[in-house]
Amino acid sequence: MAYVTGESVQQVLKDLYGYEITAADANAIAHTAGAMLTMAEHLSGLNLEGIEPPFSYPGLLAEAERLQKNGK
Amino acid sequence: MPTPFLELLAFDAATLGEKIRAREISPVEVTEAYLTRIEQTDSKIRAYITVTEKLARKAARKAETEIVKGKWRGPLHGIPIALKDLIYTKGIRTTAGSKILADFVPTHDATVWTRLSRAGAVLLGKLNLHEFAYGLSSSNPHWGIVRNPYSMDRIPGGSSGGSAAAIVARSAAMTIGTDTGGSIRTPAALCGCVGLKPTWSRVSRHGVFPLSATLDHVGPITRTVRDAALMLNVIAGHDRDDSTSSRERVPDFTASLANGISGMKIGVISELNNGLDDEIRKSFDAAIDTIRSLGAIVDEVSIPSLPFAAIVNTIVMMAEAFEVHHQWMLKRPDDYGADVRRLLEGGMMMTAPAYIRAQRARARTIADALSAMSDHEVLIAPATAIPAPKIAGPSEVEADLVTGILRFMQPFDATGQPALSVPTGLSPDRLPLSMQFIGRPFGEAAILQAAAAYENARGPIPPPPEIR
Repeated sequence: MAYVTGESVQQVLKDLYGYEITAADANAIAHTAGAMLTMAEHLSGLNLEGIEPPFSYPGLLAEAERLQKNGK
Repeated sequence: MPTPFLELLAFDAATLGEKIRAREISPVEVTEAYLTRIEQTDSKIRAYITVTEKLARKAARKAETEIVKGKWRGPLHGIPIALKDLIYTKGIRTTAGSKILADFVPTHDATVWTRLSRAGAVLLGKLNLHEFAYGLSSSNPHWGIVRNPYSMDRIPGGSSGGSAAAIVARSAAMTIGTDTGGSIRTPAALCGCVGLKPTWSRVSRHGVFPLSATLDHVGPITRTVRDAALMLNVIAGHDRDDSTSSRERVPDFTASLANGISGMKIGVISELNNGLDDEIRKSFDAAIDTIRSLGAIVDEVSIPSLPFAAIVNTIVMMAEAFEVHHQWMLKRPDDYGADVRRLLEGGMMMTAPAYIRAQRARARTIADALSAMSDHEVLIAPATAIPAPKIAGPSEVEADLVTGILRFMQPFDATGQPALSVPTGLSPDRLPLSMQFIGRPFGEAAILQAAAAYENARGPIPPPPEIR
């Protein structure tokens, strides 16, 4: 269970992004982020063993080719 | 003799196209009718951010000249359409419904607009939306609250709220929306029109301001299923400017519309067939009866991991959306509406392992959905559990949107399957109720065929009250 507090949200946002928010906003975000991070842990229950992330090399090459064609 | 104004607006796009081709109606008179309608209704509905009146008239005249000379470009030639205002239009302001891009004028067209323009469509303007397409109400703090034409104190849904409201208010014949967590199908469902989210990658995203790159879909919002098929015919297909766009063959999506569904196996998704408002329940059950009466074989199917797909969708969207907005969030946080800023702040807390795990979980859900479809051509589900909620005010997050709407929508953005929302009727207080048809990846033709058969059997939905 991901336990995220308003204080930790304020700290992370300030340290990582230099972004400051009020304690009330931080508490609301802590609630959402905590729930989402907990849910992300629960996704492991879907038997993800052996499932690759969908970031394919052919896809990467196709994008590189597009950039090259457009001279970017 | 010119066709009366209201009669012109009553035609669906397919009929208009036939009449324009036969030179019974001129693109100029149709465009004038729609421009007049925008003037009459849009101060109340707020479907439009920008009306491109002069350009529309010019394009309509050009279409008329071409058709008179025998150069007919296809069924969309001379049809007045409008685009969600995150579709890039060269030389025309494209705000994404934001204050940040209030003065942004793209230097190139989105591929979807290039294709529609080549097909001869006439651009009426750019449509209002939930700010940066990140929300379901379309109560836009910068460009006005979009209202549901069936009930002015209710949301049209979002984020493509202007796109659906314009169809139902008859201030555009066809529109384009985008769908990342339900943003085509939700407004179509709540406003009582047809919304088609094609398979992910079926339609180019080039020149479409992103919300979440691996979840964003572009598609039609229209009055009828046939109109959606006609529009998809024009916009689908590989685009060299979008390396993720599919090279899958593009069929004629209208070819099987009249084939009926006798013998077709259709599955009701059990995970979504619960928790419905009474009126939605009755309307959905009646729709199932209608589909059965057309000869389809209907039974229940299960997609066990479906509830997780909504979570996957949220995690991926939060992470990818924040990446898009990172620099603006640091420099101009106060230029966002409160609800969108809050969602983006949530994205700041999303971790890389959570994002990658969510992306891996998508394959599991797609596998489950494909298993459910191994002997079913089409799946069905309610589009929402509730009719259009009341407007809560700009930037307010409404709690019941998650259980009432998002859980029906988000899974099919995560799986990338094609999904189409079509009205099933009106509630006793005259609010639209809708269902979804869901297909196999690149199986748009099958859901269009099934939805067309149902729509035909259902008959017309009473229009909204006159907008005053």
